[in-house]
Amino acid sequence: MNILIAIGGRKYSKPTLDLGMKVSNSFEASTTIAYVGKKISQFSEKDVSIVHQNLDERQLYRPGVRTLEWAYDFLKSKEYIEEEKVATFNDNLLIDEEQSRMRVLLKGKHSNKINLILRTGEIIEQLRSEVQDNDHDITIIGGGNNKGMHHDLVQFIDSSVLVVKNYSVKKQYKILLPVNNSKGSNKAIEIAEQFAKANKLSVEIVTVLENKSSDDRLKKILERTEEKFSNAGIKNTATILEGNVVKRIVENAGDDSIIMLGVSPKNPIIKYFFGSKPVSIAAQCKCPVLVAK
Amino acid sequence: MQDYYKIVSSSILYWFSQKKWFVCSIIFALIFISLPTPIGLTIPAYHSLIILFMVFILVTSEAIPFPAIALLALVLQVLLGVAPADVIASSFMNDAVLFVMGSLMFAIAIVHQGLDIRLAKIIISIFGKSKRLFLAGLMVVSAVLSSFLGEHTIIAIMLPIGLAIIKNVDSSKPDGKNAILLVLFSIAYGTIIGSIGTPSGGARNVIMINYLQEFTDTERIDYWGWIQYAYPILIIQLVVAYFVLQFAFPTSLDNVQVQGYKRSIAKSNSATNIRHLFSCLIIGLIITSWFLFNQELGLGIIALCGVLIFMICGMVPWEVINKNTNWGVILLFAATISLGFQINETGASSWLVERFNELTSSFPEDSSFSWSFMAILTGLTSNFFTSSATTSLLGPMAIELQPNDISFGMSAAIASGFSFLTVVSSPTAMIVYSTGLVSIKIFFRVGLLMFSSSILILYLVSKFYWVTL
Repeated sequence: MNILIAIGGRKYSKPTLDLGMKVSNSFEASTTIAYVGKKISQFSEKDVSIVHQNLDERQLYRPGVRTLEWAYDFLKSKEYIEEEKVATFNDNLLIDEEQSRMRVLLKGKHSNKINLILRTGEIIEQLRSEVQDNDHDITIIGGGNNKGMHHDLVQFIDSSVLVVKNYSVKKQYKILLPVNNSKGSNKAIEIAEQFAKANKLSVEIVTVLENKSSDDRLKKILERTEEKFSNAGIKNTATILEGNVVKRIVENAGDDSIIMLGVSPKNPIIKYFFGSKPVSIAAQCKCPVLVAK
Repeated sequence: MQDYYKIVSSSILYWFSQKKWFVCSIIFALIFISLPTPIGLTIPAYHSLIILFMVFILVTSEAIPFPAIALLALVLQVLLGVAPADVIASSFMNDAVLFVMGSLMFAIAIVHQGLDIRLAKIIISIFGKSKRLFLAGLMVVSAVLSSFLGEHTIIAIMLPIGLAIIKNVDSSKPDGKNAILLVLFSIAYGTIIGSIGTPSGGARNVIMINYLQEFTDTERIDYWGWIQYAYPILIIQLVVAYFVLQFAFPTSLDNVQVQGYKRSIAKSNSATNIRHLFSCLIIGLIITSWFLFNQELGLGIIALCGVLIFMICGMVPWEVINKNTNWGVILLFAATISLGFQINETGASSWLVERFNELTSSFPEDSSFSWSFMAILTGLTSNFFTSSATTSLLGPMAIELQPNDISFGMSAAIASGFSFLTVVSSPTAMIVYSTGLVSIKIFFRVGLLMFSSSILILYLVSKFYWVTL
């Protein structure tokens, strides 16, 4: 499994990195930590490139590399990665891999497969390109209040998306797992099972009944999921909610929830113009939300 | 099948979300074309203005690559009957375009020589007595060099010096943050202000010289003539900028390490002495040639000579120049200059000026009003559209406002160099922004003060000093 963690400034990236590495370790996944630098105007892109080359030659870290260095040190301090040979970040090299993508070559051996990537450009475009080129299964990114960005991330990135909002490293979390009969929901169940097992988290499985026609089917899915988690030895509860899906899930989610739900099966064009329930939940909840694809 | 349909829909949506401004520009253009031609405007003139509008949307939104915008502008000029293909092709290349190409390549050749450490040694030896004097020195040297060699060259050389002295400053404390901003802005404002000083300071200056020669009967302004007009503004702006920055970023400069940097560069290898000396000789030769032979040879050809000498002497490989030259920008300038010529030739610029005069007929008949409107318009537009593109498209209209008064064209070119408001306005602003140490908000806040004072300085100098020339 490949996981992409996108980080921004140091101030807001600690929770993203922490939760991202917990997810990554749950799946023993190969992890790419990407810093997406400011978009450069086409007028100045070559000038900026020349200056950055100059900064490399003068051993003045180019923008973003310091953030990656901080991320690397943070992961070491939290023991998310272990080095077999002590190597400082200064010993590492920056490799220009392709247009607007650079990789920090880490010396020494690491217990995890970690890649540190520097990209420049518009964030959705860069993350989309990173996911497409490297087959990432989950993209993890910090929250913030940019609802438009949540929408675009879920809409255009071809992987599951975990938006890390208001996550505290010290808090004990539970998983809130809304289930239904979509493919995305099945994927969310798989991810939640693995993540809960690895991190010993309890799972609150819910289904929301909006109309009577699908009631029986949803109840069966809820029972099946409950059984699956119980068999896997995961502490869980199963609840049937009634009413508007978005409203009920948002009400049910606490500060200590990590919501994991499937992507909407609706047509992308309809979702783009009229939105979707998972995107509305991701935008309205004040806790981390994973939209599985 | 359903999944395939979803993938296709998603890809099309993504394309639309990325190219929405391209689609909008096409729709706007189609609507305008279907409308009746405004009275007093010929069809080619009307179409040239529609293309101008499209280019403006596409360049500011960067919805498609610049070379594509350039080719689109050329193709549309022919397809919409603005001018025949031969005429468009002949207006595509002139000395201004050669200058853009030459100055970009010349900048790469100069930066490749690694002159920053040598320059830093000189600045420290002259201005190293105190930290504030050193910062003033950085600003002055940046301005003077940028006035001759262009801002994109000088920011590339000066920024590593600035970043080296703020390397260990703690940006989490307000004093440290202000120290970082003061250093970066001193260099940035120095290079931006400097670029108005001589014709070779920026492509917009050369574009305006060409326009003045083509569209007016006034005597061609030469290299020295431009300096006489622009350098007093540059000097006053530098003084104002120094105080604006001290006011905007109050700091003790405690953690700025000028002496530490001095010691570190003192150890640097001196084996490149001859290479540096030779580089300086070539630069000196080119600047002297700009002074002496700009009328006969053109600024572009002289800049290309500089590149040629660097390449023949083996001081910069072609691969480096080819890799780092922004060919897209060269194509775009060529296309916008060509469009600027057609806007003038078809009478579209005269029509716009007439409409402008009609609109302002209720105002007192004072050229100060139209001057102020034009200077502020070009200054503001250049902050969203970049200075050279602004001059190439609005320059003909600025000249048309007062064809017999050179100060209108000169003011338009100089005001378009006041790229203090946005980070997309100039290479300097974008490079400083790309360090991640300067935010868009700070750039705008300080820039607003600098932009307003620069317009005022330009007005006062044009009103009281230029008339004496």
